[in-house]
Amino acid sequence: MSPSFLLVLVPLLPLIAAIVTVLAGRRLGSRAHVPAVAGIAAAATVAFVLLVITARSSGGGEQPRPVDMVTTLWQWATVSDAYAPPADSPAAVPGTAVGADAHAARPFSIAVALRLDPLTATMLMIITGVGLLVAIYSIGYMHDDPGYPRFFALVAMFVFSMSMLVAASNFLLVYVFWEAVGACSYLLIGFWFQKPEAARAAKKAFLVNRVGDFGLAIGVFLLWLTYGTLDFHDTLSPDGTILPGILGQTRLADVSGYVGGAVGTAICLLLLLAACGKSAQLPLHVWLPDAMEGPTPASALIHAATMVTAGIYLIARSAPLYMACPGALVTVSIVGTTTALVAALIGTVQNDLKRVLAYSTISQLGYMFASLGTGTLLGFTAAIFHLLTHAFFKALLFLGAGSVMHSMGGVIDMRRFGGLRKLMPITATTFLIGSLALAGVAPFAGFFSKDEILASLHQKGWPSAHGEHGEHHASIPTLPDAATAGPTLHDVGYRGVAGHGEHTLLTAEPVGLDALDSPGVWQTLFWMALVTAGLTAFYTFRAVFMTFTGPLRVPDEAGHHAHESPQVMTLPLIILAVPATLAGLVLFTTEGLSSFLAATPSFTAPTVAATATPAVFHWDLALQGTLAAALGIVIAAVGHLGRRSDGPQLERWLGPVRPFLENRMFIDQLYIAMVIKPIEAVAYLAAMFDRSIIDRLVQGVARLPVSAGNIVRRLQSGLVQRYALAGVVGVLAIIVLLAWRL
Amino acid sequence: MTPTALFAAAPLPLLQNGLMVGAILFSLGLVGILTRRNLIVMFLSAELMLQGISVSLVAWSRYHGDFGGQVLVVFVLSVAACEAAVALVFVLQAFTRTGRLDSAAWQSLREASLARSVDHEIPAIDAPLPIFPRLTPAGVSPEPDADAALQREHV
Repeated sequence: MSPSFLLVLVPLLPLIAAIVTVLAGRRLGSRAHVPAVAGIAAAATVAFVLLVITARSSGGGEQPRPVDMVTTLWQWATVSDAYAPPADSPAAVPGTAVGADAHAARPFSIAVALRLDPLTATMLMIITGVGLLVAIYSIGYMHDDPGYPRFFALVAMFVFSMSMLVAASNFLLVYVFWEAVGACSYLLIGFWFQKPEAARAAKKAFLVNRVGDFGLAIGVFLLWLTYGTLDFHDTLSPDGTILPGILGQTRLADVSGYVGGAVGTAICLLLLLAACGKSAQLPLHVWLPDAMEGPTPASALIHAATMVTAGIYLIARSAPLYMACPGALVTVSIVGTTTALVAALIGTVQNDLKRVLAYSTISQLGYMFASLGTGTLLGFTAAIFHLLTHAFFKALLFLGAGSVMHSMGGVIDMRRFGGLRKLMPITATTFLIGSLALAGVAPFAGFFSKDEILASLHQKGWPSAHGEHGEHHASIPTLPDAATAGPTLHDVGYRGVAGHGEHTLLTAEPVGLDALDSPGVWQTLFWMALVTAGLTAFYTFRAVFMTFTGPLRVPDEAGHHAHESPQVMTLPLIILAVPATLAGLVLFTTEGLSSFLAATPSFTAPTVAATATPAVFHWDLALQGTLAAALGIVIAAVGHLGRRSDGPQLERWLGPVRPFLENRMFIDQLYIAMVIKPIEAVAYLAAMFDRSIIDRLVQGVARLPVSAGNIVRRLQSGLVQRYALAGVVGVLAIIVLLAWRL
Repeated sequence: MTPTALFAAAPLPLLQNGLMVGAILFSLGLVGILTRRNLIVMFLSAELMLQGISVSLVAWSRYHGDFGGQVLVVFVLSVAACEAAVALVFVLQAFTRTGRLDSAAWQSLREASLARSVDHEIPAIDAPLPIFPRLTPAGVSPEPDADAALQREHV
């Protein structure tokens, strides 16, 4: 079977499963999980085969060769002559429109095209792999729920949408499935829609995501205007010329193929806004903690492992675009690091186990953004590396929390139970493994990925320490062609369209944001990330100690038979514990992932490839990271190890800061005051206008014929004689009139 | 042989007399239909008006020495006969529904918002009405008609 056929199978199988579950769910009853589990399992197998195929075709040589296979399924929409580039637009830059008249009108054509490259293959493996384990776990967790078939239909639908999102090969399809995963997320958060909190949380998630989606839509419009295409890959126009796609080989090979300056930065910032919405970054993170109202498996799959990483995927995919805009890149890092720190701080005082994990997710996603923003090959691969390990250990932690919740009769407040170590040994052990990975303790998975992220930040802050001479923008001569061309970041940004006209909008002037790209800023970001690492270890182990140590306490809701969860739930925990332990070690020591990912077309752009550094294990950074983690764990142990979780907590020493953090820094209240209240006021005014003016007008118009009818109505008396009289009078009138006129 | 040869034109006075009779008949009918409420009498009055017209038609026909008018009258008579049959069926149906021949019994067909028209001067009834045998009531008795109570019984 050809790779393209296999690639189509990955989304297709879950889609079929979803459709079957929707149509036959009621009839299947308690076996409603069969289509979804089977479909996702098959998709996971196919995804693994694809991973192997991709690794084979990219492996080998020293220099990463871009690998992408594009499968065009069908043409979605075509408009001929949709785009006539203005004379000075970058699309008209010689070399970008290869073999074609640069000024010729081009068709707008969108194909349903899927692509296979290392990044997509990795994402597909994560999505289907975690999806499969979560689906199996849900068999036990969702058992006896009235919406059992609906849940599995939604999970299969989500796996389909997410696979399409990472496999799509043009920005419009990405947008479509960006919305589709948002819809699945909405439906799963509001799965128990009878609960007002769940319905409200679903609505909130949907609305907050709209803000980000708005950014994506505008960003896509700008991309179309700027590049004249939305395809990632190069396409052939009907007359046989190559239209360079945004991430196609032609444009990637051209150092001036990407627009910098104001327009480039605008595109990148809009994509960042989209990523902030989907990946719950400041200031659009408010929906994720509330999203925990959904079923725990859905939280594990969508709000920890996969959907929230769509933003990271989008930015990593658009890496060459960002490389042309250093200001946008550093903004990505600043947003990410700030989010990481803020979310970690809030996480330290939460008492709801799932909420701790939710803030931890936001914080870890912030790490990934921080790493992406460094704009180095190390940073991009480290982000995907952390995405991978995070998917495993965070899914593990969420499923563990779900297991606790399941046996505690739905109670998730950590102050109400404790000492569950003896009651649920498997859950406790696997949860501990996940926590060690999250805290970044060697040799668990999170340690290595977090170390790489810290290294990428450190590299930007102290370039000289990493063998970069002088200028931190200088390209590293690992790739001969990049070195001879000598395209520094700024060159690419500034040269984009300079000299091709005086069009002010598109000339690549330096943007104010670019000034942020200085070592001082990066050093600050590095220290913030290091502090976050310590906080992460603290809140993680605070949760572990509160839940699993101390005297055994079980809430009344659990009944008298609180017990370890059934095997169908513990098995996924055990399976997930393996990669949570080993993935980092294996992938780091073999450098498998980073060299694999380096063959992704987006990362083979000269601007990205030029930043490649030989992989080294930074002992000093690892030591700092481990020290921070150890400090966090020790403080957590002092405060919570072996104590009753409902007693006075260590965090009381925080004083007035504690309520500030417990109320999530009042960000929700800020939104209520600044956004919701004004909108409500406007809505009230509009309602008043509608009711008092428009409605009155309409009713007035309606009253006109009624009052006219009231006058004529008197004639209908029901007495025949009067009617006859009226007739006679009429005839007489006619006679008189005729006589008079004659 | 022309019609005029067989049917000589009448002199002017004959026309005047004919038209006079026709006009009187028509006016009597008109007054009757406007003043009487008994459905059968109203129907009779309408017939009277029709005949008034017919008489004047015949008069004009004689005056002009032309058969046309008279032929038309024959048609009018036959149509009137048919119309009488239909109209009497209506009257009969109206009577079986209300039990009365008073056209004002149907004034409930007026606009709902208008006031009921009430007879103020009800003439005294000279002789008591004969009592007709009635069938034993069966089924549900209809709602009393408020309009009916105020109307004369014997119109």
